[in-house]
Amino acid sequence: IVRSLFSFLVNLQPTLFVLSAHLWLKNCRELMPSSYNASRFDQPVEASVWLKNFRITNERFLKQMKTQQKYIWSKREFTDEGHPLIEVIDQGLTRVKNASDSVGIVLKELKAQCQSGTFKLVVGVDGVNALWGQTTLRKEDKSPVYPGELTLIHNLRKLMKNDWNNGAVVATVTQTGSLFTPKAAYLPHELLGKDGFDFLDPFLPIQVTGYSEREFESCYQYYKDRHWIQHEKAHTEDGKKELIFLSNRNPAVLERICSFL
Amino acid sequence: MSASIGRFLRPWCPGILQARWSKYNPYYLEPVVSKEYFNTPETELTDEQKAERQLKTTHPIKAAPSNLTSSVFSDPLVSKFINMMMKDGNKVLARSIMTQTLENIKRKQVEKYHKAPPSEKDGIECNPYTIFHQALENCKPVIGLTSIQRGGKNYQVPTPLTDSRRRFLAMKWLITECRENKHRRTHMYEKLSQELLSALVNEGNVIKRKHDLHKMAEANRAFAHYRW
Repeated sequence: IVRSLFSFLVNLQPTLFVLSAHLWLKNCRELMPSSYNASRFDQPVEASVWLKNFRITNERFLKQMKTQQKYIWSKREFTDEGHPLIEVIDQGLTRVKNASDSVGIVLKELKAQCQSGTFKLVVGVDGVNALWGQTTLRKEDKSPVYPGELTLIHNLRKLMKNDWNNGAVVATVTQTGSLFTPKAAYLPHELLGKDGFDFLDPFLPIQVTGYSEREFESCYQYYKDRHWIQHEKAHTEDGKKELIFLSNRNPAVLERICSFL
Repeated sequence: MSASIGRFLRPWCPGILQARWSKYNPYYLEPVVSKEYFNTPETELTDEQKAERQLKTTHPIKAAPSNLTSSVFSDPLVSKFINMMMKDGNKVLARSIMTQTLENIKRKQVEKYHKAPPSEKDGIECNPYTIFHQALENCKPVIGLTSIQRGGKNYQVPTPLTDSRRRFLAMKWLITECRENKHRRTHMYEKLSQELLSALVNEGNVIKRKHDLHKMAEANRAFAHYRW
């Protein structure tokens, strides 16, 4: 649902989208101590990837927004107050070392300016239970890293807090991709843990069931229209019945089945 | 009466021991999976089919193997290829590689289809199954070589090949070529999809190997009469 919300709203208001927060907790090749705060860790690769995508989607809004504070990157580089936010993003993309900090600045600025009412902000996070889970990353002395010690996670947590208005946060909790959670866990309380649940409380739980008959029909017609379902038998009634049976109208399973059909 | 039937159901040894053979008594019948077989009403059956149904009431039926499905999407050629790719009985991995290959082929072809101008759209084949069948057809050798010993020397003699042997050779060449002659760091499904797409247009190393075999057979044409 987060993806569909994203594609619908991207043309109307600034959207912040984290495709999978779990990716920030594992397989990180370069973990550097943060330049801003020595106790935290930076992830330049993940931050720059996120900045690139964020810039492509929200370019027209970012050109209009201005920074409210002067940010000093190093001895000779700084971004003045009143300059467009795009400069902060470009700085993060060119100087990869400062990418995580520029992510933090962007999040802070958006949250602060959203409250004035000029625009509405939509934040979509897939796998929000990653923010309060565990990581597989280790420091140089082999001690584990906590998610709170990563700048990206720390800044995203500030956005999740319900102390700002004029915007919406849509989040999903998922077990696939999450670390150190049992496979059978699917309820928000089990996946978020006590800390996460208390942080996000109160929230509106939305139950997302599988496709209804009409939704399945539209998905099937979409695949046929885009020439994605190529198997001759899949175009018949029997084939369609078999697809319904094999996927049990679950969208993810249907996608995986139709990928090779 | 029971003694004569019991003779068939006892453990049975064939007259000549084969290298690999089905341990079932020939009395057992094959399982049938197609829905059409069971949905035809009594009136539409021919006499042979009625006799067959009669047999089923008395003869026992072999246990169905686990890869036998009544699914409309099952393809015997694809199943054979998956079995040949399988290592150490890891069917899950072999099947996932095959599905990823089919998806990869379809993705490339559909992208090409959408980018092509309308005049060329008809010529682009998007169905990964037809591409797989056609590519395999293109890789099958027409004639093979067997080693025959005459007067102490071994000669490579051109011989015709059975359909199953040709299919086996095409699949074997495809798999070995993808495993050995490609770059180490690419995934198997990527290597396979590249090789299948080039075999479709009669290019690539597998087609080259088939042509080499044909040339050798042509070169050794003189020994053809060494066959019995």
